[in-house]
Amino acid sequence: MSVTATAAAPSRNLTAACRRRVMVCSFFAAAVFGGHAGAAEVSHGAQLAATCAACHSVDGTNAGIPVIAGMDEQALIGAMLDYKESETPSHVMHAVALSLSDEELALVARYLAGHGGGAR
Amino acid sequence: MSRLSRRQLGSLAGAALLLGLGGSIARGQAKPRVVVIGGGVGGATLARTLASGVPAVDVTLIERRAKYITCFHSNHYLAGLSSLASLTHGYDALAQAGVTVLQDSATAIDPTARTVSLQTGAVLTYDRLVVSPGVSFKFGGIEGYDEAATEIMPHAWNAGPQTELLRRQLKSMDDGGLFVIAVPPDPFRCPPGPYERASLVAYYFKQFKPKSKVLILDAKDTFRYQDIFEDAWARHYPGMIEWLPKQFTGGVHAVDVTTRSVITTAETFRAAVANVIPAQSAGSLVAEAGLTDASGWCPVDPTTFESKLQADIHIVGDAIIGGDMPKSAFSANSQAKACGFAISAALTGAERFPPHLFNSCYTSLAPDDAFVNALSFRPDPETGRISVVDSFVNKVGESAETRRRTAHEANGWYAAFTRDTFG
Repeated sequence: MSVTATAAAPSRNLTAACRRRVMVCSFFAAAVFGGHAGAAEVSHGAQLAATCAACHSVDGTNAGIPVIAGMDEQALIGAMLDYKESETPSHVMHAVALSLSDEELALVARYLAGHGGGAR
Repeated sequence: MSRLSRRQLGSLAGAALLLGLGGSIARGQAKPRVVVIGGGVGGATLARTLASGVPAVDVTLIERRAKYITCFHSNHYLAGLSSLASLTHGYDALAQAGVTVLQDSATAIDPTARTVSLQTGAVLTYDRLVVSPGVSFKFGGIEGYDEAATEIMPHAWNAGPQTELLRRQLKSMDDGGLFVIAVPPDPFRCPPGPYERASLVAYYFKQFKPKSKVLILDAKDTFRYQDIFEDAWARHYPGMIEWLPKQFTGGVHAVDVTTRSVITTAETFRAAVANVIPAQSAGSLVAEAGLTDASGWCPVDPTTFESKLQADIHIVGDAIIGGDMPKSAFSANSQAKACGFAISAALTGAERFPPHLFNSCYTSLAPDDAFVNALSFRPDPETGRISVVDSFVNKVGESAETRRRTAHEANGWYAAFTRDTFG
């Protein structure tokens, strides 16, 4: 799903600055995973994703709060970096984004991207 | 698909544990046993986190009720905006996830023998015990307000029969009546709750009993998010809600159930409906087990939630001394996950990472007007205190559209959160 389709996500025009940030995201994600995720990294990502599940439904329903399981990894990283910069449009996500290091953000984005659509 | 892989895919929290398993389980050692007392948000989240991710851990949940009714969002029920059924959650999904659910009450904990005695006579042994007892009410602080008085002046601070009683009283109240809410001193469960209750009951009055009024008698002189509440009261319910701080009244020191009067040092208020919320402490079982300190609450390690007073016993939720974390369902859920990961690490060798503690509470001011706070916390193992790192909340003067969207999100949050907790 596209992050721009969600009500709470910030708009993301493909400006030069934005493209640069996507490249940065890719860089640090690759640095964290070294090309393939080990069990420890996946486990860490899953523990971080458990925090997300307190608000974001994991069964595909979107009742005011976007579904993020299965979301494109780069889109999620990009959205979170935007949230980190500003209290608007979501001060909740601003707080969440600020609480995550770049490494943690890469881990949870990779984990969520690989766990879409699973009902529990 | 094997049982393990279904669970792995099925739970974000569970997957975290499953993927981090050390070698001891793989070698086929006996399953460690975790007993969880209390099937509220803390206990249910803990049981689900452990059971859905680590089949090698035996998880037993002890809860006396067949179903749990959430206190959060119960103010909507009081205002006639939702049914009690919509706030009611069973334990079938937890059982399907592998939790042994016993409808029973724990009567005693023996930390030395590592056993829990149950009302039915059974004795369970544990490797780790988690207690999530919620709060108990301190009767005696307000003269005349005891267990029997709650049948006349309900506290409705545990959802269930008390909430239904208060709803019935509000429905049968004549137009023009006075609804009094007595707010306890800190710390208590759900700090914004009394003021949300005032807001939504005023909404109900505005629709059906417009000459009625809400009077809040507070044990404090200020309250959190006061500017947001007072702005909303002026906009939605002008002249309908009055808030009196302790400095004006001296505080509520007695009630008279025969006249349904709430008595402060300065004045006696005769109510048509009185909602007296008593001061609170940790649930009674933990005090008997030596898990509380002089404050009446449970001191815990801020990263593992293990008791500082008894080894191998963890406490989560409203009963703990949580530092800056409010006593909320969200806090309990967040603590339970961190606790579950810590227990898994201790029992199975699963990998453990620095916990993230968070709280976010949606508070309704009217059906289409809500605000939400968001707080992140850092557990400090050195000081033993959980400290707030960042704190954000809606602001006075925001657009109606922002508040409508927040109210819509609140409903989505409730659905996702109760699913995350109870399955």
